[in-house]
Amino acid sequence: MIPLGTQSGPVESPFTPEQQQRFDAGLARAVAKYPPDRRKAALLAALHLAQDELGWLSEPTMAYVGFRLDVPPVRVREVVTFYTMYRMRPVGRHQIGVCNSISCWAMGSEKILKHCSELLGIHPGETTRDGQFSLEEVSCLAACGNAPAALVNNFRYVENVTPESMGALIGELREKPGTEMAKGPLPRMPDPHLHEQSQGAPQATGSLDGPAVSTHPEAGSTEPR
Amino acid sequence: MPAPKLLTKDWDKPSSWTLETYRQGGGYQALPRALKMQPQQIVDEVVKSNLRGRGGAGFPTGMKWNFVRKETSFPKYLVVNADEGEPGTFKDREILLRSPHLFVEGLIIGCYAVDCHLTYVYCRGEFRDSAMARLQQAIDEAYAAGFAGKNILGSGFDLEIHAVFGAGAYICGEETALLESLEGRKGYPRLKPPFPANAGGGLFRQPTAVNNVETLANLPVIVTLGGDEYGKIGAPKNGGTRLFAVSGHVKKPGVFEAPMGISFKALLDEYCGGMREGSTLKAIIPGGGSSAIMTAAEAEWASDFDTLKAKKTMAGSGGVVYLDQSVNMAHALANLMRFYAHESCGQCTPCREGTAWLSRLLDKIVAGKGDKRDVDNVHQIARQMEMKTICALADGAAMPAKSYIEKFRADFDALVRG
Repeated sequence: MIPLGTQSGPVESPFTPEQQQRFDAGLARAVAKYPPDRRKAALLAALHLAQDELGWLSEPTMAYVGFRLDVPPVRVREVVTFYTMYRMRPVGRHQIGVCNSISCWAMGSEKILKHCSELLGIHPGETTRDGQFSLEEVSCLAACGNAPAALVNNFRYVENVTPESMGALIGELREKPGTEMAKGPLPRMPDPHLHEQSQGAPQATGSLDGPAVSTHPEAGSTEPR
Repeated sequence: MPAPKLLTKDWDKPSSWTLETYRQGGGYQALPRALKMQPQQIVDEVVKSNLRGRGGAGFPTGMKWNFVRKETSFPKYLVVNADEGEPGTFKDREILLRSPHLFVEGLIIGCYAVDCHLTYVYCRGEFRDSAMARLQQAIDEAYAAGFAGKNILGSGFDLEIHAVFGAGAYICGEETALLESLEGRKGYPRLKPPFPANAGGGLFRQPTAVNNVETLANLPVIVTLGGDEYGKIGAPKNGGTRLFAVSGHVKKPGVFEAPMGISFKALLDEYCGGMREGSTLKAIIPGGGSSAIMTAAEAEWASDFDTLKAKKTMAGSGGVVYLDQSVNMAHALANLMRFYAHESCGQCTPCREGTAWLSRLLDKIVAGKGDKRDVDNVHQIARQMEMKTICALADGAAMPAKSYIEKFRADFDALVRG
């Protein structure tokens, strides 16, 4: 447990040597974009870099990123909880976000969501038991002209989707190891222990067949409550 | 008048995003001209052009730049808002994907005009591997060609351009929240004044012009045509063409360049091929999800900022959604309100609580569990949210809530008891 408001001494890195190298190089590039006395501004970029390596941001990871930029852990946590693209708990290797904002909704995005739910056996906000897929409902992706739209692993746009094309996409992703979301060899399987704790949170509803792990950001951190 | 293609002329060319294609179409010819002008001369041309900010508020760009120029505190910044996220809006993404150099050239001219030597383009996080990658490629090409960096084209003007990206927060499209985010914090909008253009209000508390991607893409055109000539296109006090991002139940959705002030009917019929087979127009969202709804009978309204403001809606971000008879407007509003309730940053009570209450009430109504008083309550809560918060998100949620009920009450009544 890392105290949130204070900082004492160096914080241990969560990365493997290879990951560390990529993180350091990325951080140097991000920091270089800002005036020398403004390196804290690179916090969002640094968190993205860490998440690219590890797949999600644990408390030790957040503390380490903060340590590197002289940002107090509480400030890091404030940022991580504010932005939806940061994950405070492990998610599936492939995260599928279906846009359900007004234009996509008018073009049938709810049907797409339902279809994905049935294919994967989970509700939006959950992860399949094998850790392969997470499903999310996301808001406007700025791709309304090609509605309905979806987003894979935060950065890949899929447009003009149909229930059939989403089925094909899920099949295609199933074949691939999760290279897009996390480069490192970290086990991305949801921790069953973690699942039990999340039962108390309102979003952690059961899956369509058997329990799943809630990945809803509001379901809280991975720390014991 | 046939609509001139000022911003989109290269869009259909193969590899339209490359420097080569852009230069073949006459690209980067405005920049040397601009660098020979005095910065104030450029701002004067922009004032004459009646260019209005394309991000949503429609603030006159030249006036904003004059505010920044008047400040005596240095350095000054120009920050670009590419955090496109207003429901129904997708024009900036198209610009960055299809003609990033047009925007980059405009950005360089804009920075020269406001005396900025370090500029940031804040893209929404989701754009990283698509639109922002194209933009980064364009920036790199511009550096290599000597259009950015030190002593641009021998003029003595230096400029560093950095593209950065956010992490998924609608509120960061609000200019002061964007600045907070750019400084590495959560996106809480700042209390104004001081405004970003003034010392104390901008990036790192320095005077800062925050401009939309499309606004800056107009700069090469204004320098080439001259402010007066540019201002003749479009509507009075609303110069130029605008990129309308059209979605919904139309035959041909997409981004269309049309003169400011074109009527919504003409936009639908002449550009989008009309409504789809079997669809009749029921409602129009004129400028992104936050704008007040229009009925089919109001389709003749002109789309410029001033007309729509007078009609109690707004031209907003240029995201136009045409909805057909299959849509129950109560369901549409419930969908929108879930978005605002989720995206409210939580700083101001009327917005944090108001959007959540509206969303809960509307979900109850569309689930068939509401009664007439719930509909009245939605309207009343929306009225009480307006003009009470630091930023306009609450107003952007209240405006649709009020107008959907006022103009489509029957859709709500059909779902409730009593």
